[in-house]
Amino acid sequence: MKQWFISQSVDHPKRSIIITVLITLLMGSGLQHFVVEDDFMKMLPQDIESMVALNELKDEFGSTDLMFLGFGKRGVDVLNAKSLATLWDLSHELEDIEMVDEIMCISTSDKMESIDGFLEVSALQEYRDLDEEEIDALRSYLNDNSKIKTRNLGEKGDYFNVIIRPVVDAKNDVLVGEMERVVATHLGDYDVHWGGQAYLTGALPALIRNDVMGLMRTGLIGMLLILLFSLRNISAVGTILATIILSMAFMMGFNGWMIYLTGSDKFLFGVLNTSMPIILLTIANSYGVHVITKFFRKMRTNKDPKAAVEASLNSLSLPIFLTALTTVAAFLCMVFAPLEPLIGYGFSISAGILWAWILSTIFLPSVLVLKKWNPDAAAVSHPSHFERFVIAFGEHVIKRPKTVLISGAIVVIIGIFGIFQLNIEVNMKAFFKPDNPIRQSLEFMDSEMTGSMDLQLLINADLKDPEVLTQIGSIQEFMEKHKSVTLSISIADVIKQMHRMVNDDDPAFETIPDSRDKVNNLFTMYSMSGDPDDFSSLVDYEYEKGLATSMMRSISTSEIVVLVDEIEVFLQQDEYKDLNITITGLLIVFRDLVALIIRSSFISIFASIIIIALIAAYFFKHWLWGLLAVVPLSAAVILNFGLMGIFGVDLNHVTALLSAIIIGVGVDFAIHYISQFRTHLHNHGLDGNLSRETMQDVGFPVILDAASNMAFGALLFSMFIPMIHMGGLMVFAMVSTSTATLTLLAILLELSKKHLARIEGIAVPE
Amino acid sequence: MKLTIKTVLIGLLIALPLGIFAETGFELAKAMEDKISPKDMKSNMTMTLTNKQGKTRESTIRSISADDSRKQIIWFLAPADDKGVAFLKIEHADKDDEMRLWLPAFKKVRRISSKKKADSFMGSDLSYEDMTSRELDEYTYEILGEKVVDGIECHILESTPKAGVTRTYKRFITYVSKADLVSILDEAFDTRDKLLKRRVMKFRKDKGYDLPTEIFVENVQKGSNTRLVFSDQEVDTGVKANLFQEKNLKRMPK
Repeated sequence: MKQWFISQSVDHPKRSIIITVLITLLMGSGLQHFVVEDDFMKMLPQDIESMVALNELKDEFGSTDLMFLGFGKRGVDVLNAKSLATLWDLSHELEDIEMVDEIMCISTSDKMESIDGFLEVSALQEYRDLDEEEIDALRSYLNDNSKIKTRNLGEKGDYFNVIIRPVVDAKNDVLVGEMERVVATHLGDYDVHWGGQAYLTGALPALIRNDVMGLMRTGLIGMLLILLFSLRNISAVGTILATIILSMAFMMGFNGWMIYLTGSDKFLFGVLNTSMPIILLTIANSYGVHVITKFFRKMRTNKDPKAAVEASLNSLSLPIFLTALTTVAAFLCMVFAPLEPLIGYGFSISAGILWAWILSTIFLPSVLVLKKWNPDAAAVSHPSHFERFVIAFGEHVIKRPKTVLISGAIVVIIGIFGIFQLNIEVNMKAFFKPDNPIRQSLEFMDSEMTGSMDLQLLINADLKDPEVLTQIGSIQEFMEKHKSVTLSISIADVIKQMHRMVNDDDPAFETIPDSRDKVNNLFTMYSMSGDPDDFSSLVDYEYEKGLATSMMRSISTSEIVVLVDEIEVFLQQDEYKDLNITITGLLIVFRDLVALIIRSSFISIFASIIIIALIAAYFFKHWLWGLLAVVPLSAAVILNFGLMGIFGVDLNHVTALLSAIIIGVGVDFAIHYISQFRTHLHNHGLDGNLSRETMQDVGFPVILDAASNMAFGALLFSMFIPMIHMGGLMVFAMVSTSTATLTLLAILLELSKKHLARIEGIAVPE
Repeated sequence: MKLTIKTVLIGLLIALPLGIFAETGFELAKAMEDKISPKDMKSNMTMTLTNKQGKTRESTIRSISADDSRKQIIWFLAPADDKGVAFLKIEHADKDDEMRLWLPAFKKVRRISSKKKADSFMGSDLSYEDMTSRELDEYTYEILGEKVVDGIECHILESTPKAGVTRTYKRFITYVSKADLVSILDEAFDTRDKLLKRRVMKFRKDKGYDLPTEIFVENVQKGSNTRLVFSDQEVDTGVKANLFQEKNLKRMPK
């Protein structure tokens, strides 16, 4: 098999290049079916408890994923004729958007009044253009109804609050785009602020993807420059680049074909897939770097490209195949991920990795064979300064085994300690830097409006029972005592208001009536003059399920956990036990979802490590090799997450996915090192400088591979904090995996070389 | 404003001797308007509301109307939660209509008002505007053609509010029975000219009148519907004018 591969590039280089390029083009043509999907809601698992509850809620009450829009002018009373006319135009145009179910603002709300003995339900703003008298009446009504005022106006009265309820199954990304277009036509003269989890899920994916893709291009250029500096040969760098591009085209095309053939949403390219090209890039780069550096080393002795390629492939075929196999195994563990897109992610990147392997063992060597190399060129004949530095570093490491081992152990222990300090945080506000306009908008909505989050309590009880309604009122009072809750709304509020109206607007009657018959009468009375849909977001058709919605300022994930715990403790009191209340909302789904992603990430880390160990053990023919192969990446994983804990880098779904990169790349370094170590062991036995020679062979490509991948530190310049963390961690991951391989693994092999020699059946001198 | 269950109910009609041929849309509409109607009517109605999730609410009411339904009094018979609630409506040509509601649990009569014609009547898919006969002069009419609906030959009549007349709907398409000049099917389009409501009506003949037996209104955009089924109809029984007084809300006459 190995010889077949070698023969393809050595004996038929042109044919091999043409075939691999044609296959890539064929697969790449799947790009025509490639679909970018920015609808974050589509990615959520439908079977987790909180999502099931949220879907039940949506079936009954429509979408509860609210978006918030605040607009006005700082210091200018917003209740003026011009602003009200603008609000009227804006709200009516927003209502016309198909994906909008309801707009809640002054222009679209009703008021309930008792006028000269009349109960009147009418529009809060009856016309577009109001005169001063009508504006004063409106102001007076709002002042008398504090909850309605809080919901519709900013704290200082200089901003309108517009709440947008999308239809169920709205594509938030498309909706956000349409709303922003409408807002741009009406609110050019105003300060505009957006908020709400639904808004963020709509706005963020495209922003993140565009940001990351832009930085990825920068990273790729940086990578090529580092390669050029180290390899000192444009053709060599160009060959690696070609391998990367062809792998990428194959993967994206595969993704497209899978959509076409399966019709499955699993293969839609969403925000979670953003890291896919970066990971494949690093892996394909890794394969290319190892082949090229080995080729140059062989050229120094052989001078003949064909012979050098043959010798390189003889040495690298197994390790590259193994690295591809183990990395694919690691990514296929994503099949068990809780999010559907991660399943498609696993399959597509695996296809890309396997093609990168084919390209680096057939296409790339074929190019090397065809290219006319000057054996006397500096790039070929002499190691670079960088290479010499790495060799010197290796020498130092091997001379101080105990020091290196103890230092490594200490660092890993520190990492383990740090893991316990990890903080899980998914508050989307924390995704942005403090000076980012989106974050500033969210902070504005938090400080001056009703906030940018919402939490729902789903109450299953007889909602015409005065006792139940009174209890709901008490729960709302409890909620409103929490510092982050700005407003709580439920059917109990409407009942109280109707009760007041039916009693000649006497504030003393703004209470829940004392009998069920009275509650019934109030509902009937309302149906005579109000819209039945007015209650549809508060109570179901049979008055058996009610919704108490709390508008909230942004709070952290840990604060959400505390708040939910507090609510649960409160609801455990005897008087509320019969209400059967579920705490729900997008906020709760995100909390559960991220916990799920993180848990599944850790499960897949362990599963990947075990599978990689088994594969390595099988191909290297002893369990000890398998164990040693996973030492560097295990140490790197511990160290990465540990340092995240120590330095306060939040663990979220983005940073959790980093483990995939660590494993994908970390295992490659170890396998190359072990493979070379075994080759030297078999070729030279324990005589000579086993570790030194292995280090000379593998050290430079490992460090060059890591260093070039570090160019993705460009993510440090992202506008999103998790991406900045990812960029930083990626740099650190490269350092940690390569260092762990060239220190920990190297020393472990050095210290156990006699034992390993016996395993390999090699004579060990006494 | 002619606010009437009956008018609604019907879409409405009758005047010219049946079979008179209408040449223009206006003549057809006028022929429908001019049809004779009962002096008074008593009936029981079962109203079934179905929301978009398919959940239903049913109410039974007793209605007595007179003066071409300008006066109407309604008592809720069922469900038990609503029993005893009563509603009185008297339309005035020169001032706002009077609407009063008896709330037995509060032992109070409350006057109610709805300024928005698009508001729902009793939580149904019928709005107050739907309940009002279309003023002949406020619309332009056009006969779009002919069609057989449920085996009945119909004219297709389009009614569009004249410029300056503010209505919730942009236009209506009404399928008018050629034989009886009653509306069999009525489609209402919203201001964006999208179909909003579809109303299907069934009639029976009694004492020369076309009396509604069932009205089915579907809000196409919301996915909800309302079915009104009439029973125990009596017409021209000599209902006295003093029945339509607040004091009669508290007790339903036998």
